[in-house]
Amino acid sequence: MADHVLLEMRQIEIAFPGVKALNKVDFTLHAGEIHSLLGENGAGKSTLIKCLTGVNKKDGGTITLEGKEIQPQSPQHAIELGISTVYQEVNLCPNLTVAENIFVGRQPMKHGQIDWKTINRRAVELMSRFHLNIDVTRPLSYYSTAIQQMVSIARAVDIQAKILILDEPTSSLDDHEVQLLFDVMNELKKEGMGIIFITHFLDQVFAVSDRLTILRNGQLVGTYKIEDITKVQLVTEMIGKDIDTIFSLKRAEVAENEKDMLTADHIGAPEKLDDISLCVKKGELVGFAGLLGSGRTETAEMLFGASKITKGEMTVDGKKAEIKKPYDALIAGMAFCPEDRKRDGIIGDLSIRENIALAVQARKGFMHPLSTKEQNELADKYIKALGIATPNAEKKIGELSGGNQQKVILARWMATNPKVLILDEPTRGIDVGAKAEIQRLMLEMCGEGVSVIFISSELDEIIRCSNRVIIMRDREKVAEVDGATCTQEQILAIIAEGSTAARGEAS
Amino acid sequence: MKKRFDLAAITKSKLTWAVVAEVLILLVCLIVRPDFFKISYQESTGMLYGSLIDIVNRSSEITIIAMGMTLVIALGGTDLSVGALVAVSGAIALKFLRWDVLEYTTPGDYTVCSYALVLIVPLAVCLLMGLFNGLLIAKGNMQPIIATLILMVCGRGIAQILTNGKQFTTGYSPFRVIGQGSFLYLPMPIWITAVVVAVVALFVRKTAFGTFVESVGINRSASRLSGINAQLIIFIVFALTGFLSGISGLIYSSRIMSNDSNNAGLNYEMDAILAVVIGGTSMTGGKFSLAGTVLGSIIIRTIVTLVYYFGIASEATMAFKAMIIAVVIVLQSEPVRNYFSKRTKKRAYAVKGGIIE
Amino acid sequence: MSNPSLVSRRSLTSRIMNPKYIMIYATIGIFLVMYLFGAISYGEQGFTTLRTITNLFVDNAYYGISAVGMTMVLITGGIDLSVGAVASLTGMFIAYGTTVLGLHPLVCILFSLVVGVGLGLLMGWVIHRLNVPPFITTLTGMFLARGVCSLISRESIEIKHEMIDSLASWKIYFMRLQDGEWVKVKPIAYVNFNVILFIVVLIAGIYILQKTRFGRNVYAVGGNEQSAKLMGLPVGKTKILVYGFNGLCSVLAGVAYALYVKSGWNLSLMGAELDVITCAVIGGTLLTGGVGYMIGTLFGVLLKSMIPALITFNGNLLSWWGKIATGLLLLLFICIQKLVLGVTGHKKTASTKPIKE
Repeated sequence: MADHVLLEMRQIEIAFPGVKALNKVDFTLHAGEIHSLLGENGAGKSTLIKCLTGVNKKDGGTITLEGKEIQPQSPQHAIELGISTVYQEVNLCPNLTVAENIFVGRQPMKHGQIDWKTINRRAVELMSRFHLNIDVTRPLSYYSTAIQQMVSIARAVDIQAKILILDEPTSSLDDHEVQLLFDVMNELKKEGMGIIFITHFLDQVFAVSDRLTILRNGQLVGTYKIEDITKVQLVTEMIGKDIDTIFSLKRAEVAENEKDMLTADHIGAPEKLDDISLCVKKGELVGFAGLLGSGRTETAEMLFGASKITKGEMTVDGKKAEIKKPYDALIAGMAFCPEDRKRDGIIGDLSIRENIALAVQARKGFMHPLSTKEQNELADKYIKALGIATPNAEKKIGELSGGNQQKVILARWMATNPKVLILDEPTRGIDVGAKAEIQRLMLEMCGEGVSVIFISSELDEIIRCSNRVIIMRDREKVAEVDGATCTQEQILAIIAEGSTAARGEAS
Repeated sequence: MKKRFDLAAITKSKLTWAVVAEVLILLVCLIVRPDFFKISYQESTGMLYGSLIDIVNRSSEITIIAMGMTLVIALGGTDLSVGALVAVSGAIALKFLRWDVLEYTTPGDYTVCSYALVLIVPLAVCLLMGLFNGLLIAKGNMQPIIATLILMVCGRGIAQILTNGKQFTTGYSPFRVIGQGSFLYLPMPIWITAVVVAVVALFVRKTAFGTFVESVGINRSASRLSGINAQLIIFIVFALTGFLSGISGLIYSSRIMSNDSNNAGLNYEMDAILAVVIGGTSMTGGKFSLAGTVLGSIIIRTIVTLVYYFGIASEATMAFKAMIIAVVIVLQSEPVRNYFSKRTKKRAYAVKGGIIE
Repeated sequence: MSNPSLVSRRSLTSRIMNPKYIMIYATIGIFLVMYLFGAISYGEQGFTTLRTITNLFVDNAYYGISAVGMTMVLITGGIDLSVGAVASLTGMFIAYGTTVLGLHPLVCILFSLVVGVGLGLLMGWVIHRLNVPPFITTLTGMFLARGVCSLISRESIEIKHEMIDSLASWKIYFMRLQDGEWVKVKPIAYVNFNVILFIVVLIAGIYILQKTRFGRNVYAVGGNEQSAKLMGLPVGKTKILVYGFNGLCSVLAGVAYALYVKSGWNLSLMGAELDVITCAVIGGTLLTGGVGYMIGTLFGVLLKSMIPALITFNGNLLSWWGKIATGLLLLLFICIQKLVLGVTGHKKTASTKPIKE
């Protein structure tokens, strides 16, 4: 690992109306290192990065790149200076080919025309450096997010970026794809590139970083070598509270003979899932574990009527339920917090109040409106109960942080007093403190008799909260284990081996 | 929660600028014609008479359509077919009034088919055409601008085919009342508009329909997953717009007592969209303002009137209309509004003696 | 270790089968179907002669020229409603300039170019800098152009100038060998200046889109403007220039139209912008942006022009049926677009595992 200092940010200050976003923050990046940048939402990570990428102007401090002071004026300028960024939402053009995305804006020319042959040839060479042999003449949209991110990185590499910023790159990747990304990052590291890695996944931080920097409330908490800090210490520094008190959550208590609240009997939908059966008792929390694409979201969508089932039957609270669309599920007493809250959850320009009241209003139909007073009561109740950080209920939900947005969506469904609540990755992209709060809320609801289906990619969360865990792989249910007695290794083994491991006795 | 008088927010609101624009234009009218605001009673027609009344009267056709268009735009779409539907409506009405006429004969004070049919069938057909738009958009998942382009292209053709390319004239007095009659001294179209605006406003704001429209317009997927029947909302909005186009068509043809399929509703879709946008509703969808739309429609008509009163020959009407609309649009654009809003905020802070953190 | 030869061999077949080209195959396919229909129904009346095809070009060259520019605008995800008005204005400039002012036509054309391109650049600037939606901006531009046109003259003005006359009547006849001598093909088939202009503009359009950085930036901006900006592409310049280029095409289309009808009239080409958009959509250009091909647009123009041609050959139908047929054609194409995109468009590769060699 080289110690040559590549980038130095000193005493950076940025203020927005009413809030000091960054307060005299220092950050250094060495050449040939992977440096993780960590912090809760609102800690200042993205503000700091936007300084580097030319989106925000700093109010104080200096940025030095390879000894020379720089002032990135715009994204284009930052790229020219050698700073490239790969965002979570891949910032490429889906309609252009892979090769073209790598070269657009600086295509090699021959006789005054674009030299397509060279573009395609060099694109193939670049992608093969990442051990990817794909057809570079296909449109980018043809490929998965993981491949698209690789293309984004290839573009950065070809531009000969000195610094590569990866902003939450792994949120939609499965374990295999994450490893692919890490391999690439290590390759680039060896060539002397400095990589800034922003993520919420603490395991990944420890898997790939050389050093890490923690921000809290716009201030620098500290910069550490990876071998000098433990996970517990890390979390403590990030949220400033003792981690044990946060995670002293208790599983719900469910009586043996408690009635079934939700049953699904061999339900299936074309192109989604062939066949699955499950049941959830009253007040029980059932966790869904499995890889990306294993069918958990598809199951949730079928249960809730977002995908219409073509076979099988469902019952809710003992009564047969014909669920063809979300409204039917809502009437039956079900609730669903989808995975992609930006695409399927928040109504950005509407206020917090309107967002919270939406499902209740939908259930009543538009001919029976809730009065403003009723809406305000609902909003105030849940803003308080969930600790949503906002000056009032009229603020547009689009202006809140990710964690608070998730709380509003949760409030929307809690307001319907559901019998069954399905949560699909409710803690994704949220800081540790908010994660704990949401888990606590889930368990509280179980205590009040609500049945919860909890889908998550973080096994420790699943194990901590679930009474039972359903494990899925390749669009089928492969096992069900007891939440209190299972371990991470056991679940991972079942996921890896599929139904064979489930049938064998787990240790 | 106390709501303070938020000057910055008001200067930032599009509706404010629309009001400012209208007041300015009216003032200019007053300067040009000092008797602009005068209202007098006209014996011959039994109606009140004056420029202000004329503006509201003449803007009726657009205002009525724009009520529906506001909801369409709030859904994030546009309805280009309204002008064609106006032509269709007039064509059907005149056809039912003069069914037996193959050659040109003097129009008499009679109707061939029952008057109920003359009124109901055009409205029903336009409603169905609106439903057709809704079907393409809700079930067929088409972009509204393309889906409605189909009827825009076909519509006038259909109107012409229905009347075999002929232009009928009628002298039937009950039909005349729609566009040229009066009630309580005010022209009938004003009353029709008032009723339409009231009904739509009540429906949209007194129920949760307006919220649902905004919700679907901002995020259709999330709305559906929250239990809203997005398809139903889309159907209702486009059917309503079709229906309103039908009403507008009846008024138009009643004014001229004939069906002019070439000119009926010409450019109405453009004027309606402009009225909605000037009134403050954003074309990307979401929050909308019916009051703003009414104001927007009146502004457009006032501009035309102003141009006329300036003594500018009618040739120049369109050019002036365009220039003034251009100014309004620039004033309403985000950067300009932000500029004025920032200046008001800075002044507010300075007055309070506080320092911007 | 990569194998470039394997990749390039694969890419030829996969290039042809690329899903985005399927739309163009559909356009060409339906064009051939319609031609076949015409050949069978009206073969005796001379449908299958060369003249039918060349007349398609001659009669619709001005649409084609405008469609080239419009395709580019649509690819960026925008829209331009001013093209008909600008073309009409050009005709008026030429007519008024030569007939009333006695200027040389080239001077008038030059003046038109300055105005047309200038208006285009201005609209592009308003769209990009002030964030006003393209629909509204270009609508206002349309009103402005029509307004100025009406200001110049309310009546149609004939163009009488020897240069215009000779240019308009200049023809290249198609010849064939008969008994060792070149004679004109009967029935007489020819192309004229308009057609040549169209082909030149079309080739320029293809070259720009496929072979220049600007053209590829057009696609990028249309694909995802936000990404294009973050990738460091000159989004603003691209958008503004695209509207400027479309202004150029509108003026050239106006010149072609003026040569075609030899007059200038403020009501000419009303609604032509929507015809041009229809041609582009039928040609496979998506209104959402990012997708579009000049070849497709060419066939879109030919397809749309085929309908009036078929009606003329039929002789019995009211020309209004043409409008209805065009509308149905549009509906058909949108449905095909949906089907094709749904089946092939956004399929992710089944395996994200890299193929290690």
